[in-house]
Amino acid sequence: MTDCGCEKAKAELEEYLHRELSDQDFQDITDHLDSCDDCSGEHLVGLTLTQKMQSACQEKAPDELRRAILARLESV
Amino acid sequence: MTAVLTRAPGGVASGDLELAVMTTDDAPVANQNGADTKRLFEEQALPYMDQLYAAAMRMTRNPADAADLVQETFVKAFQAFGQYTQGTNLKAWLYRIQTNTFINNYRKNQRNPYQGTIDDLEDWQLGGAESVTQSQSTRSAEAEAIDHLPDSAVKDALQSIPEDFRLAVYFADVEGFSYQEIADIMKTPVGTVMSRLHRGRRMLRELLSEYAGERGIAVPAPTTRSKK
Repeated sequence: MTDCGCEKAKAELEEYLHRELSDQDFQDITDHLDSCDDCSGEHLVGLTLTQKMQSACQEKAPDELRRAILARLESV
Repeated sequence: MTAVLTRAPGGVASGDLELAVMTTDDAPVANQNGADTKRLFEEQALPYMDQLYAAAMRMTRNPADAADLVQETFVKAFQAFGQYTQGTNLKAWLYRIQTNTFINNYRKNQRNPYQGTIDDLEDWQLGGAESVTQSQSTRSAEAEAIDHLPDSAVKDALQSIPEDFRLAVYFADVEGFSYQEIADIMKTPVGTVMSRLHRGRRMLRELLSEYAGERGIAVPAPTTRSKK
């Protein structure tokens, strides 16, 4: 095997992260990440970015908004 | 019982519901099934309030406008609920209404110098470049640095990237929508979604790495500086 798989992996890491690949491509990238520190490091940064955004963007709707919406629905 | 379709303060552009309302019947709840409809709506749609509010905060960037936007979204969604097909993706349907409402009612009030041209800008104009070669150890350091950033830094970074990129990134990474769902919500081709995601994420990564470096949290190998 001459192609190390890095080129394909790097190009598709974002779709990999978002689960937008076919099963076969997903498996190919998974296999590649297992054996390639460079690509798995890159993937780790992407994954961390996603997880960080998820945890940072949590919000709870204020109680007064909840009340206001329920009141609006009553009058609609 | 009289069902009056109230017009929202500030006026609602009819286009806000163009995707949500597939038929021309404008008063889906104006009948004796109104109570059932309302109960069903409250049961199914209201649980998304926190999520819609969080998205609204990222859209409008302030609590007052976010609250108005979410309220508007629920009123419109309720009025159009008769056109919602049970069993289809309610969350995506609600996000589509909220995104349309935001674009029509709020976006024009905000300064957005990039609007309409952002997708056409070249990468160098956005301050990005394809990632430079980094060693494994600096990538680990970069991931760790990002992981240790305060939430406020992440939100600030999100706020500072162009809106279309921000929404695409938010929908994909925070909400977990598929590319096709995002394309439907934002009314753009999937290819545009992918481009916005890629560019938005790259800008975020650069901003957060810069921030981490400034705070001395860790200094990974510098990527190209963003244009400010």
